[in-house]
Amino acid sequence: MITRHQKTAVTALAGLSLLGVVTGCSTGADASDAASTPAASSKSTSDAAPSTSAPAGSSEYKDGEYKAEGEYTSPGGKETVGVSLTLAGDKVTAVTVTPESTNPNGKKYQGEFADGIAAEVVGKSLNELKVSKVAGSSLTSGGFNDAVDKIKADAGV
Amino acid sequence: MPASSFRFTGIGTTWQIDTGDELPEVVTARVRGRVEEFDRAYSRFRSDSLVASLAAEPGSVDFPPDAVDLFDLYDKLDEISGGAVTPLVGRSLEHLGYDSQYSLTAGQGRIVPNRWTEAVSRSGSRITTTSPTVIDVGAAGKGYLVDLVAEVLVEAGITEFVIDASGDLLTSGEPLRVGLEHPFDPSKAIGVVTIENESLCASGSNRRVWGSGLHHILDGRTGAPTSDIIATWAIAANGLLADGLATALFFVQPERLAEHFEFDWVRMRSSGIAERSRTLRGEVFS
Repeated sequence: MITRHQKTAVTALAGLSLLGVVTGCSTGADASDAASTPAASSKSTSDAAPSTSAPAGSSEYKDGEYKAEGEYTSPGGKETVGVSLTLAGDKVTAVTVTPESTNPNGKKYQGEFADGIAAEVVGKSLNELKVSKVAGSSLTSGGFNDAVDKIKADAGV
Repeated sequence: MPASSFRFTGIGTTWQIDTGDELPEVVTARVRGRVEEFDRAYSRFRSDSLVASLAAEPGSVDFPPDAVDLFDLYDKLDEISGGAVTPLVGRSLEHLGYDSQYSLTAGQGRIVPNRWTEAVSRSGSRITTTSPTVIDVGAAGKGYLVDLVAEVLVEAGITEFVIDASGDLLTSGEPLRVGLEHPFDPSKAIGVVTIENESLCASGSNRRVWGSGLHHILDGRTGAPTSDIIATWAIAANGLLADGLATALFFVQPERLAEHFEFDWVRMRSSGIAERSRTLRGEVFS
């Protein structure tokens, strides 16, 4: 779990030029010092991964959640992403990257490090939803449906 | 709300075009003609199509100019999916009973298709084969035809419309709220999305079923129907892309597809878990 997130953090941060930390939702008293360090500039990539650059034995960063706006240049122009890091014991325990693209080509590049969101589905009655159209696969080929009906009839279903 | 709806049957399914003003007869005739032209080239279900001639004997066939975009997308999806998305599932589908006679009787075992780029050579819209080959453009063809119908409307000066080809939608003009039909219950939706000047295509494996585990979405790497993903939706700039990606989402991780294409997506697993892109304009109910 942590390993995977660390990898994500390194990948995400290395490709970003973070504009400095906007918010530090830290549980510590003063998160500003801690927060400014992991905000790597594009030049100092060695600081880009706080979880790996922290010296052993001393805690460099206060535990907490850090949020930042990141900017990078895609072939389609400048893009912005929101990055949220959770630090615990100098380790990155969670990373969320939220695309905030306004560029029509932006989603494509952001998709490389923005996974989808998964949840168990709860169906809602279409009568309650004000929709103009429904997209699904219920209406299918006429010839196919005829054939299925025929098979059912032959089988006495 | 649309003032006028034009309904017709084409490529074996129901179509509806909503417009502000009633479509002139000359335009509806052109729309029908365009759909018929597409069917005559690409239908696996009629004996006089170009596809049928390649299924009967090998050789070179000149498809209409519109084939270039269609097969270009297939080339790309075939490469990205490692052969899972391929027009050559045609023979496998026939083998499982989804043939032009709708025999719906599965043969023994599976037929694994050859790789599209190896078995077929293509130059522009000309396809050349060396053995009888069943091409099935079911993965992206209907969405593409929606685009081609939209071209007819735009050429006639119509700018605001909704084309609904039974689950494959294209809208031009006002934003449109669309329910994502629950794969197990057509009276319900699993989510709602808004599309605007773009296309939404849905694909599902649980409707066109003719036997246990037998449906029309086949993995070209195995020739067998898929089972993990049961429904997909893709939103993209046009119907060709949205339809092709809706199919590809059965086989390829969305993140991988996002490296190549600009789109939003929802997909549902047989476990009842739904995934969606973070940039989706809409929600999935959970």
